[in-house]
Amino acid sequence: MNGPDGFRSAFRRWRADRPFWGGLLLALGGAWILLTMKASLKVILHVGMQGLAGYLLPALMVLLGLLTLFNPAQRLFYSITGILVTLGTWLTSNLGGFFVGLLLGAVGSCLAFGWLPDQEPRRGRRQRRKEAAAAAP
Amino acid sequence: MASSPDVTPSAGNTPENPESGSVPEASENPVGTARRGRVRARRAAVMAVPATLVAGALAVLTAEGALGVQFAISGMPFTVTATELNGTGFEQFGGLDNMAPGSPNEGDTGGQVLIVTSAIKNATLTKLCQSVDLGGTNLLITAGGGAEKVSATDLTTDSTELSGDAAFNNIEIGNDASTLTKAGVKGPIGVFSQQADTVRIANLRQTNYATTAGVFKLPGLKLRFSSTGC
Repeated sequence: MNGPDGFRSAFRRWRADRPFWGGLLLALGGAWILLTMKASLKVILHVGMQGLAGYLLPALMVLLGLLTLFNPAQRLFYSITGILVTLGTWLTSNLGGFFVGLLLGAVGSCLAFGWLPDQEPRRGRRQRRKEAAAAAP
Repeated sequence: MASSPDVTPSAGNTPENPESGSVPEASENPVGTARRGRVRARRAAVMAVPATLVAGALAVLTAEGALGVQFAISGMPFTVTATELNGTGFEQFGGLDNMAPGSPNEGDTGGQVLIVTSAIKNATLTKLCQSVDLGGTNLLITAGGGAEKVSATDLTTDSTELSGDAAFNNIEIGNDASTLTKAGVKGPIGVFSQQADTVRIANLRQTNYATTAGVFKLPGLKLRFSSTGC
């Protein structure tokens, strides 16, 4: 288990029991939105509560993405909250970080929502059909 | 090895998976053929379909001007053009904007840009075009091309370049920036400023470093990527 191979297989196993891409994309989406809108705090305070929401929502996206990675058991709650917050950024934060962050966040949330642990290894449709045909007679 | 501390916490996390129950960890199996979590397309679609519908509805409502969106951009230069701007409650003063230390946009400016801050309480813009340079490609936002105009409240922009044919009503020139009253923003003390009740700028063109708007209504919104800016 030493050397780069050991690290890689360990990482793959770590990745295998959590919605890795879902959480990662959600966090990246939030980070991107935060990157597009670093208005000065003084202006934010002038705009008021709404301006604060513009920061709060993408920050929540990053948080939810990381939580999905490190506490995958609660992924349903995280992904549902994640998609709502992601859609909210369209209104509050530069059209969802000029759409890019919104897209990342939405795809991430959906992947996290659709993820299930402990699945059979992936098989092609043709292979499945062949097996079904072999089992039929 | 550096890998080992990375493994242990994850193994501790695994039993939390609600569905997996008593099935032992896949660690005994060779990687690749192991039973592992993955995304079920149909399950993901349960969320993806309504989410797409909601996102589409948001975009349509925004494009109809029924829904206001909020903007807060700073640190990257972007261009705004409009054939006409009408505003009430106008303020303008000079200032110095600092970039974040080590910003890639710094160039030979030493991290500081001389800027003109304009604040408008209520503004309507005709044929707004806004382009942001995303490194190689430009994101182009156009709105207000039809009968309905773009409207913005609490619009504050930090510009490096501002051109157009302006007409002011009831203008006061030479105030101290800290005594401005028309748009609710106060500048630094001892800085030249001007304010007016109404403003009308034709063929507006601004290069901005920062913009914030409380509510932006963008009827006829179009969002696209383009190789050229506005």
